[in-house]
Amino acid sequence: MEPKETRVDRLAGHMVRTETQSGIELETSYGPDDIGHLSYEEDMGDPGAYPFLRGIYPEMYRNRLWLKSFIVSYATAEETNQAFREYIANGMTDLRLLCDLPTQSGIDPDHPSAWNSMMCGGVATYALPVYEEMLAGLPLGEAVFELAHAGMSSFIYFYGLLVAMMEGRGMDIRRLRGNSINDPIRSKLVYGCPDFPTDIDRRICLDHIEFSARNTPSWRPVAPNGVDPCQGGMDAVRELGGCLAVATVVMEDLQKRGVGIDEYGPMVFSLDAESDFFETIAKFRLARKMWAMIAREKLGARTERAMQLKIGIRTSGLSLTHQKPLNNAARVTLQILSCVLGGVNSLDASSIDEAVGLPSPEARLFNLDTQHIITHEANIPLVADPLGGSYYLEWLTSRMESDVNAYLDEIASRGGIYACLESGWLNQVMEACRLKVQREKAEGKRLIVGVNAFRSEDDKEGPINEAIRDVAYKPPSIAMREERVREVTRYKASRDMERLKALTLDLFQATKEGRNVQRAVIEAAKAGLTLGECVGVIRLGYGIEYDPFNQVGTPDFVLAAVGA
Amino acid sequence: MAKVGCDIHERGALTLVTSLRDTGMEVIYTGRYQTPEAVAHIALTEDVDVIALSDHTGSLPIIAQDVLNELGKLDAAYIPIIAGGLLTPDDVRALEDMGVTGNFGPGTPMDVIIAHINTLVEP
Repeated sequence: MEPKETRVDRLAGHMVRTETQSGIELETSYGPDDIGHLSYEEDMGDPGAYPFLRGIYPEMYRNRLWLKSFIVSYATAEETNQAFREYIANGMTDLRLLCDLPTQSGIDPDHPSAWNSMMCGGVATYALPVYEEMLAGLPLGEAVFELAHAGMSSFIYFYGLLVAMMEGRGMDIRRLRGNSINDPIRSKLVYGCPDFPTDIDRRICLDHIEFSARNTPSWRPVAPNGVDPCQGGMDAVRELGGCLAVATVVMEDLQKRGVGIDEYGPMVFSLDAESDFFETIAKFRLARKMWAMIAREKLGARTERAMQLKIGIRTSGLSLTHQKPLNNAARVTLQILSCVLGGVNSLDASSIDEAVGLPSPEARLFNLDTQHIITHEANIPLVADPLGGSYYLEWLTSRMESDVNAYLDEIASRGGIYACLESGWLNQVMEACRLKVQREKAEGKRLIVGVNAFRSEDDKEGPINEAIRDVAYKPPSIAMREERVREVTRYKASRDMERLKALTLDLFQATKEGRNVQRAVIEAAKAGLTLGECVGVIRLGYGIEYDPFNQVGTPDFVLAAVGA
Repeated sequence: MAKVGCDIHERGALTLVTSLRDTGMEVIYTGRYQTPEAVAHIALTEDVDVIALSDHTGSLPIIAQDVLNELGKLDAAYIPIIAGGLLTPDDVRALEDMGVTGNFGPGTPMDVIIAHINTLVEP
């Protein structure tokens, strides 16, 4: 038989696009004239100096590397605790907490709508004892924790559990370190979280921030999130614009409660590390500059601290492919590199098996080692902002600044970010961006290696790729889910109901009377109030039905407590 | 197009809804946070040709079995089910055993999915 003729792939020899991932059209090269409008002092500044484009510390990484973080949340508290211990031993410095999807939606495992996603994406952390088990032996007050959940109920409740644990051990809660995402726009725009309507989201967001600002100064209680809107479709300009708009309105709302920006201190954004290398670096540098300018000029910040933006990263899960998962190692490595060149402060890198399932431990360790290699073998972090002054990068940063400002003007002209959410406009913007990407893929203008380009004819993969797929974490079985329902039922029956009723009434009244609910949530959680019950009681305080899914009635003890 | 439970990952479902509509199909999307009962009920009352289940939690076999059970209660088990999302090889085998077809992983080309739906629907 004659061998089949080998064909040269027409895609292999040239670029198929002339614009960045977000659609910024590029010249073939850039020179001094392209950045002639920029002033070093005003537009860039030295690392550690306003407007912090080049980084928030003068020496950047040399004395203080970025925090290495992951979301660690497997099906049970026990295996999650084990995983935290192993990753800490391998160099993890930032512990991102999550829970399963039903809990993030505001319901307990015994709720009928929990079953089909129970223990998926994490532990069903429905009450304080689960947190005690999940975090057993981990250094509260020393470790940095992050709350990365979807629903707004999660932040007020799980921050409450961290405080409750520290108080239960007689520790000073001022030592609590870390941050909450606590972004009410992202919760609705991306997730459509059913726990609360937007007006409750906006209020408890502030309750959490206000309490934290006054009681746990090393906790950053809001980190406007661009990662998930970006994964939902937004491009880099709209991702950054959205974060700036959220941070601004939250700080304005907080000022009305008597907490000024100088008292509040530095802002944190959670941004996405996307595949477009230079655009991603430009985005990180620009985020610091734009926040510094808004903080000083719009919000009246006087201290440098309050003008500083810390950037926490999650690398793009969406960019990873199920096909040839080994290729994801190249994608994630480049994304990590863009973070380091962009001067980020914490980095949560996706795993090569993440398009298959929850990350396997070995894939996680590979992530940590990639960061160690970038640091200690490639010596990338020795010098702050090593790409500063690049004609292309500075032009791109400046061009994105104009685009983000235009987007912010449009949000303002539509009544602000909350009005843009409520009118559905933000969703329309996200959908338009998503369709553009979809069209580009279909037209061959956006190539995904191994997916819509460079596929072998028989799609056969070798043993390395097959092994990556095989080791990905497996979701919990029916028997494990049934056991969890029995466990939560037992737990609910084991509580001191008189004490619980009194503290439930406190939470109900604080909600109803418009007082800050954070302390009431902490105390009720100490008495055993679960996440699902906490959501229900706050909803009752607003005069809306207890169950966000409208499937279960109000528990008897809650009815008795609130006298309904 | 249906999503059952509390899975928040919606982009795959939304992308597919648009692509299927572009080919001239009529698509009803249930939105997120649905129950199996609701999906079976919507499928029957809307007289759909195919139910497509999307999920990225790893629970597709459990979800598909629940939807099949609910369809059975309504004497509607004749409606074919296809599935897509996060799937392990074990999941695919389990789904095929219960008669669920397609079982597409992330990144499957649209024309493959569309062609599969066309094999299930009488012209």
